Amino acid sequence: MSRVLVVEDDPHILRLISMWLKRQGHDVREARNGLAARELLNAEPTDVLVTDVNMPGWDGLALIEAALPMGQVQRGIVVLTNRWDHGEIRDRLAQWHVHVLPKPFSPARLSELVESLTTAGAGDSPGSVVASAPRPEEGV
Amino acid sequence: MSARCPSAPDDLLLRDLVCGLSTPRRAPTVSVGVLGSPDHTPQPPAHCLRVCLGADPQAVASRGCQFLATAARHEIDRTQLQDGRCPQGFAVTARPTRLGGAGAVFVSVEGEIADGTAQKQGHAADESNLLGHVDTAARLVQRVGEILEENSGFADEVLQNYEQLNLIFDLTQQIAQVTDARAIEKLLLQRVARLLGSAAVTLASADGGCRVFGGADGRGDGVAPDLPLTDLRPVESLIDEIRRTRQVRVHEAGGRQIIAGPLVRLDEKVDVVFADRAPGHGAFSSGDMMLVESMLAFGGQIITNTELHERLRRMSLEVTHAMVAAIDKKDHYTSGHSQRGGFLTRLTAQELGVPLAEQQTMEWAGLLHDIGKIGIPEEILCKPGKLTHEEFEVIKQHPRMGYEILKPIASLGVVLDGVLYHHEYPDGSGYPEGLKGDQIPLVARIVHVVDTFDALTSTRAYRQAFHVERALEIIRDEKGVRIDAEVADAFFRAFERYRREEPGDFAARFPAFIQSEKAHAKP
Ligand SMILES: [Fe+2]
Repeated sequence: MSRVLVVEDDPHILRLISMWLKRQGHDVREARNGLAARELLNAEPTDVLVTDVNMPGWDGLALIEAALPMGQVQRGIVVLTNRWDHGEIRDRLAQWHVHVLPKPFSPARLSELVESLTTAGAGDSPGSVVASAPRPEEGV
Repeated sequence: MSARCPSAPDDLLLRDLVCGLSTPRRAPTVSVGVLGSPDHTPQPPAHCLRVCLGADPQAVASRGCQFLATAARHEIDRTQLQDGRCPQGFAVTARPTRLGGAGAVFVSVEGEIADGTAQKQGHAADESNLLGHVDTAARLVQRVGEILEENSGFADEVLQNYEQLNLIFDLTQQIAQVTDARAIEKLLLQRVARLLGSAAVTLASADGGCRVFGGADGRGDGVAPDLPLTDLRPVESLIDEIRRTRQVRVHEAGGRQIIAGPLVRLDEKVDVVFADRAPGHGAFSSGDMMLVESMLAFGGQIITNTELHERLRRMSLEVTHAMVAAIDKKDHYTSGHSQRGGFLTRLTAQELGVPLAEQQTMEWAGLLHDIGKIGIPEEILCKPGKLTHEEFEVIKQHPRMGYEILKPIASLGVVLDGVLYHHEYPDGSGYPEGLKGDQIPLVARIVHVVDTFDALTSTRAYRQAFHVERALEIIRDEKGVRIDAEVADAFFRAFERYRREEPGDFAARFPAFIQSEKAHAKP
């Protein structure tokens, strides 16, 4: 079981993702936008951050930018993107070593990812964000 | 105050509700919970939700279990409070619920009421109040459980749709990058196998024979002899039926279920696609049938279009080559001129960074540029020695004649530019219109350079061929006058690289060059 913070502005998708991950036995917290998610991260770290990109106000990119230096995301980040997101978003995501799932995402793939992020060794396995992400100089 | 046992996430919601209900004023100890049926849950406590105020959760759970056998089957709305019917000394109302299987909601009341003495001392009013309360609680818990279960069912459906949508989107994206019908077929059928949870699908081709496609990991690609479906004899009548009706069918054969559907291809040929499921993996549903139907219809459409596209492309190539053969037949000493013209035009266009699709059209312009010569009398075209002024005026009509011949073919667009203007020179001294510099379309400038080079290196009725190096030199001298400088430079680079890097291909395509080089080589 790992702690997962799910950030998604659409309440139905949010509920669906969190239901799905809870069923896999994860401890899930929910936020409807980037700002709320940052507050939650401030209060308590999480293992995995699952976030949407397009959200009103604070979007997923702003959240990742803020979350990386905080060091509160301890195992990895999964980003749910629109399939037709333009190149700029993809480039920024590429620079952060996050895992990207295009919407409509595969629930099976999502749980696989969360699982692999949290069971992969002591965080130094290839493909894990842990080793690279939460350093303050990155993503700023 | 409450023992929280490992529970499904929705139980947490239920717990909140139960917490609110489990403090009736007059009850000394009330326990409300949901238990899974012992049949379905080998370890009831692990699946149970208990909110116990002052009671031992284990005890409550185990006592609740005793009611499940009945509760799962019958709705019990009266509690069993009377002596003898409640020997354990607690009150329970239980209602069947499907939550977590065939479970039950139970509410137990212990303490004062269960105490025989207290009961005898006349707590009848309290009892009936309490029972009413407990019953309401149980109904509520039951209803919430049902709603949660419905929700969870909807969620399952949505999650499954997401999974399928994701696969279909992926497929669409991948197919967009593939132009070969066979490759699309493979992608499509691997996806179908994956969506159906089958190890592989088999395609019985309308032309006879069958192909097998693996599921998620591509296992089973090629021919898998252990799959019963590679032997199609037992399902021949099914194949016929599907060819006729073009509908998806689920078929039972030897205790094994097969789902089969039509893949309609070019010329209304119908391939039949089969998938099976290993025993114990559940029957195919109407959802599976719908999935197969829509995937195959969608895929068949794309495959048909691709095949049609391939056929048209092949056909237009064949027609082009037939026309080219007609020119070369007439103007024999330029045999191979058109073929080389097409090839070198493409090479130069590539060097100039022309987009791929346009390179193709330019190659056609290179192939067809002299098609107008078909309309020039043979005695002029093949006249040995110098042409008179009048004869040359006739020859000069060939670009426009070519243009007129090809004009009815609407799709040739850029090709027409190449044909009409391939004898225009940058200094404006060319024909038919005397265009200058940039007024001449790029395709025509390229064809002109290539045409000039090939003419110089060919033996004509009135002169011997120039050596390759000499021909390049002549073109170099004409740069900016009768030859476009930028195009000429690109041609030189492309030609030199081609000759250096592909000597084999060069020798095959330009045998005359090799011979002339040998002839010029100093002994
Ligand atoms: Fe010509």
